[in-house]
Amino acid sequence: MAASSPASRAFTRVVVYLILGTMAAVFLYPVVLMLLTAFKTTPEIFRNPFGLPASWGLETFANVWRRANFGLYLRNSLLITGASALLLLATAAPAAYALARYTFRLRGALFLFFLAGIMIPIRLGILPLYLLMRDLNLIDSPLALILTYTASGMPMSVFLLSVFFRNLPRELEDAARIDGCTEAQTFWRIMLPLVRPGLATVVIVNVVPWWNDFFFPLLFLTSDTWKTIPLGMQVFFGQHLVDWSLVFSGMTLASLPLLIIYLLMSRQFIAGLTAGAVKG
Amino acid sequence: MRDARRWWGKHGHLFVFLTPALLIYGLFMAYPLVSSLTYSLYEWDGYVRKGFTGLANFATVLTRWPYQERFWGALSHNALFFVLTFAIQTTLGLFVAVLLARKWRGFAFFQAAYFLPHTLSLVVVGFLWRMLLNPTWGAVAQGLRRVGLDGWVQPWLGQSDSALVTIILVNAWAWLGFPILVYLAAVQAIPREFHEAAVVDGASPWQDFRFVTFPLLLPSIAMVTILTFIWDFNAFELVFVMQGASGSPNYATDLLATFFYRTAFGDPTTGGEPGQIGVAAAIGVLMLVIIGIVSAFGVRFTTRSQTEF
Amino acid sequence: MMPRTLRTFALTLAVAFLASALAQTNLTFWSWRTEDVAAYEQFIAAFQAENPDITVSFTPYLNTEYNTILSTALQGGGGPDIVHLRAYGGMESLAQAGLLVRLDGQVAALEGFDPGVLLGATNRADGGVYGVPFALQTVQVLYNIDMFERLGLEEPTTWAELLAVGDALKASGVNAFANGTKDGWTNETLFGAVGPTFYGGTPFFEAITAGETDFTDPRFTAALERMVALRPYLADNYTGIGYTDMQTLFAFEQAGMMAAGSYELGNMASLNPLLRIGSFAVPADDAATPSAISFYVDGSYGINANSPHQEAALRFIEFLASQEYGQMFTDTLQQISAVPGTAPTSEALAGMVEMMNEQGTPYLMLTAFRFGTPSGSTLLQNEMQAVMAGDKDLAEAVVNIQRGVAEWFAPFQ
Repeated sequence: MAASSPASRAFTRVVVYLILGTMAAVFLYPVVLMLLTAFKTTPEIFRNPFGLPASWGLETFANVWRRANFGLYLRNSLLITGASALLLLATAAPAAYALARYTFRLRGALFLFFLAGIMIPIRLGILPLYLLMRDLNLIDSPLALILTYTASGMPMSVFLLSVFFRNLPRELEDAARIDGCTEAQTFWRIMLPLVRPGLATVVIVNVVPWWNDFFFPLLFLTSDTWKTIPLGMQVFFGQHLVDWSLVFSGMTLASLPLLIIYLLMSRQFIAGLTAGAVKG
Repeated sequence: MRDARRWWGKHGHLFVFLTPALLIYGLFMAYPLVSSLTYSLYEWDGYVRKGFTGLANFATVLTRWPYQERFWGALSHNALFFVLTFAIQTTLGLFVAVLLARKWRGFAFFQAAYFLPHTLSLVVVGFLWRMLLNPTWGAVAQGLRRVGLDGWVQPWLGQSDSALVTIILVNAWAWLGFPILVYLAAVQAIPREFHEAAVVDGASPWQDFRFVTFPLLLPSIAMVTILTFIWDFNAFELVFVMQGASGSPNYATDLLATFFYRTAFGDPTTGGEPGQIGVAAAIGVLMLVIIGIVSAFGVRFTTRSQTEF
Repeated sequence: MMPRTLRTFALTLAVAFLASALAQTNLTFWSWRTEDVAAYEQFIAAFQAENPDITVSFTPYLNTEYNTILSTALQGGGGPDIVHLRAYGGMESLAQAGLLVRLDGQVAALEGFDPGVLLGATNRADGGVYGVPFALQTVQVLYNIDMFERLGLEEPTTWAELLAVGDALKASGVNAFANGTKDGWTNETLFGAVGPTFYGGTPFFEAITAGETDFTDPRFTAALERMVALRPYLADNYTGIGYTDMQTLFAFEQAGMMAAGSYELGNMASLNPLLRIGSFAVPADDAATPSAISFYVDGSYGINANSPHQEAALRFIEFLASQEYGQMFTDTLQQISAVPGTAPTSEALAGMVEMMNEQGTPYLMLTAFRFGTPSGSTLLQNEMQAVMAGDKDLAEAVVNIQRGVAEWFAPFQ
């Protein structure tokens, strides 16, 4: 047994790497293919769908950037997603804290009220939502998107953050109270910094779907001024649907911002997401 | 007056903590959803609201042809969507997570690779796979032809018996990274001593997994399963992008959400039928009931099992 | 180079600023024609040259989202001043809800339009016209002229000849038809090209819309049978071939024919400018029996009833109904303008107009059976998709189509 052990261990090692490597290929190859295809001309895509492109010129990307007004859309996406994330944190964190750390009569009902939203697709409410935005004079304003995104992200965020808050030891609060902190100070100075991973989780969980959303921008934005990347790209794809080369370059450009952020900080990304789920 | 001040002194902070969230959530999510649910109780002519009809819209969805056929079809597709996704993530996903937990060289790369598709927009995922699976030019078909498996090339997205499963697999491609990472973190959170104790007791790797790892993973599995259920019963974008709002071919990939969308707004590619707001709202209410009941039970079950644990 | 661009830019800005300072009205114009942005900007420039006090901003939305956005906006009392409307049942619900301005009597040019064409923008409840139709489309077989010449093939005059042409194309290593069935609506297009000849064109159309016969009529089944008979001639793996795949197959000469709408001419010209395209109607069993093709109104331009700029909107609509505009439209977009008296300049398009005038019959489901739910189009597309895939019997499909339309079509009840 002692003699066969290193050999069988090496064998296990090879098998494990083989399995995981194959999986990685399945997950990565289509993305790589998208990036490669973006460099090809349309006839080349059909002739040679998964080989290397004939040239690595960036003309199609420059073309998309210019013709699709990409710089403006990038700015809009950044502003709208960023503002939504800030507003969500500023509202969801205190609410989750209240629901997690205090006992009061309406607590269960309020928690359920927030929780119920996790299960409902918000598209179901678009007609009344549109009328509401119109009455508030928010059509064609980025605020319509920021408020919608914040509201739709609220249930999951309150839920996740309340789990984080609940897992903090009770002694911390007691110590803070003994030191004479008010409830707000306890929350802001002691408890909030301790759930920073939770806050990161909330941002990561929400920012990805917001960044990729195209339905609400389509509804709420009528002029070019505030269009986001997915909406701008959708219109662009529609104009050039038969020109696959342009569409693939556009898809690549549209995916690149998140992809780069993810590659740069995948550890934080992953840690944030999994922490949220595991603690639940 | 003094009562009010006393109430404020005791509960004021709660008020401050909760009001902003309640205001935004209540006004921009709860109110539109609830008021569109009341739409299900009215008769609509195009976009004009007519009289109160009670449960007539529900009767239409559940009993009248062809609505009832679409509804039960879509419901069963959503169920299959969930069951297959669940099966994949709790076998393959769990297996990969357990392997990854060894933290060998290069595992950080694998971990990052599996999660990468999760960052793509589902619109991009749909377009991408539509092209890969194209029976004429797609990379999958061409690859099969190059290795001499011409007979395996199928119009995967065009056949009624393979289209839905294909969509579910594409979804799994974009989704699986999430359960893998959650399970991985849960496996890594298990104290080493537990495994050591099992090995001392003479447990095989399988027994170690079966009696140590698996029971400790149950809360994570339950949590991910509930999330999967909710998301799979709301699934929309992938079918919409790859198969159109009608769930082509011949409704083989139709989901509750596409059925809802089509009924509410019409499908421009099948003639732009006038939207039936009332019937659509009824479908929405039924979706809400199904998702609500199942996930409420699920959450209840997991929280209870956790407290016992 | 750079300074000149800058100067032009500055000049444009200054002009734009001046123009907007002088302008009384800015009209918004929503559309689903994302492909036609450049063309519409050109049309609008022509209008603005004549009407310096009005500016028009054209906003196209994604085809699949357009109905939702438009109806939601109009329903909420918002939306654009000028509305690009879909035809027949697609616009009727908006007109019926009072969201559009009635145009007959207000736009003089409408009186010159063909009554059959105006049907595409008419609300049947009050007989009012609510839009200025913009394009007519025909549905027939397109073919690659060069490929036909290379293989010594001619336009078929009988069904047997059509199949022989298909065999010859397949033997040469390409697909006979580019058509697939993955996208439901392309099944209706295929039927629109193949069906009319075999159900007997307009007489059947008139009989069924009057309720004198229904979809169980053997003529209808006979027409569907011909569609099914073409299965061996469709693209390889046709159940997985979607619309853009069809376009690509035909444009890049991997198929010799395509059952398609006249709107493909413009698409093909941009995909492969070298492609020479001819068209023919699907022939009957013998050359003596007349063949037929489908035609329909594509959509129209309407005015939002809640628009605050009614007077300016009306002036723009009058422009859109003018012959000057019709000619510009057909020349730029390579489509058949709905405005009477416009002449197509391209040979291929002229051929289609001639066929339409001689052999045209209203596109069955689109023009007559899209007014209720489930629409005839929805039924035909999905039932035939299943039949074409071999998942369903034709007889069962016919029963379902009849049953579905009878849900709302009074003469069948």
